Amino acid sequence: MHQKSARGDAVQTVKMVVSGAVNAGKTQFIKAISEIEVVSTERRATDATRQVKEATTVAMDFGRIAIADDLVLHLFGTPGQKRFDFMWEILAEGMLGLIVLVDSTRPETFRETNRIIDYFISQRDIAYVIAANKQDRPNAWSPDELRLALRQPSHVKVLPCVASRRESVKQVLLELLYIIQERSEL
Amino acid sequence: MALVGNIRDFGLSDFLYLIDRGDKSGTLQLSHLREKVLLCFAQGKLLFAAQCPADQQGELLVQLGLINALQLEQARQQLRAQPQGATLTWVIISRGFASSDQLQHALQQHTEQIVYNLFSWPEGEFRFEQNQPPPPDAPTLPRALSVDRLIIEGVRRIDEWGEIRNRIPSSDLVVRLVALPDQPLPKLQLSAEEWRVMARINGSYTLAEIARKNQRSEFDICRIVYGFLTTGLVEVGGKRTADDQSAIPVELPRIKRALVDRIINRLKSI
Repeated sequence: MHQKSARGDAVQTVKMVVSGAVNAGKTQFIKAISEIEVVSTERRATDATRQVKEATTVAMDFGRIAIADDLVLHLFGTPGQKRFDFMWEILAEGMLGLIVLVDSTRPETFRETNRIIDYFISQRDIAYVIAANKQDRPNAWSPDELRLALRQPSHVKVLPCVASRRESVKQVLLELLYIIQERSEL
Repeated sequence: MALVGNIRDFGLSDFLYLIDRGDKSGTLQLSHLREKVLLCFAQGKLLFAAQCPADQQGELLVQLGLINALQLEQARQQLRAQPQGATLTWVIISRGFASSDQLQHALQQHTEQIVYNLFSWPEGEFRFEQNQPPPPDAPTLPRALSVDRLIIEGVRRIDEWGEIRNRIPSSDLVVRLVALPDQPLPKLQLSAEEWRVMARINGSYTLAEIARKNQRSEFDICRIVYGFLTTGLVEVGGKRTADDQSAIPVELPRIKRALVDRIINRLKSI
């Protein structure tokens, strides 16, 4: 994926995907780290998601971090609702890695989170981490408890996260990048 | 007797109107430069459209992903054993290879695209053979299309295409997200269909390829991308180079450690 930078060099873009169940915090996660105004679609929900929040992301979010003049990182958030599952395959094309956000305070979403993880990792050998969001809430399940609840093996990183805090989001992205780094070519 | 002329003198919309109002059946052949198009009508409705000779035959259904090659062969065998008047489409539906709705959806898009493209021809010879049916192997529409609707939409698109073509001169151009925007992007409200297009924009796919992957017409994709262009979200580049060709993401990209290191270092500094 090449275009020209201000100096005339080719600009490379790399893509990461942020997924998770409805209200897991995907929009907030991307907003916290993106250097541009996040392009998102917030509309009044028309299905069961209305019970969760009045306006929910019906499509996906898009954020961007300029790494250098010739390199840009794009962050794509997947839609939460099942009726937008068709987007997952499109978004997964050419992605560098995946962050699966889970709302640590809502165990009723863990099954859906598992479905999302299964979808992505069954299709391809993908670098991914699980971000246990809302760790600042008193009733949050800990990352260790979440690992058990989501039945994830010990090598999968389940990271504490507060999606509204840039530093926390940054740490999650860095942990994912360390995995990608290990798998990258010299 | 065949009706012969040039759409420069007798416009396409006028001729289609004649077919519609006259409830005519037959085959209309049109040619312009190297392009040849075949339209088949039954009682004033459009039954089949083909860019000659590529999609006159059942292989089109395989190309559109509706059936596989083996199913096509089986359908052809059965068609040969059927009495005259049976169609390939009917056999495919009766064998359960594809549903009527699936065929209608895909063939209608394909047919409309061909017809709408005709409206951009400044001239072209036409020949209408009355009562000539479609080729025997033709993938006809399960439900024929109303011609008057095609005329209205075709004429509307001529106007809109003019605007779009000012900024997107060809569907063979690569489109990409603006990497380093000069101005902050406005807040956008995008529909699911628009997001679907945006997710395909990767600096490698051409507009025509995005249309094929999303199973939409090139006009639909160009119209959506035109909207993105006006917001500064994307830009249209040139035709794909050999370098870009290799950058089409088929699966997970192979990535160099040096590049990952750069991303890590940058993130640490945020």
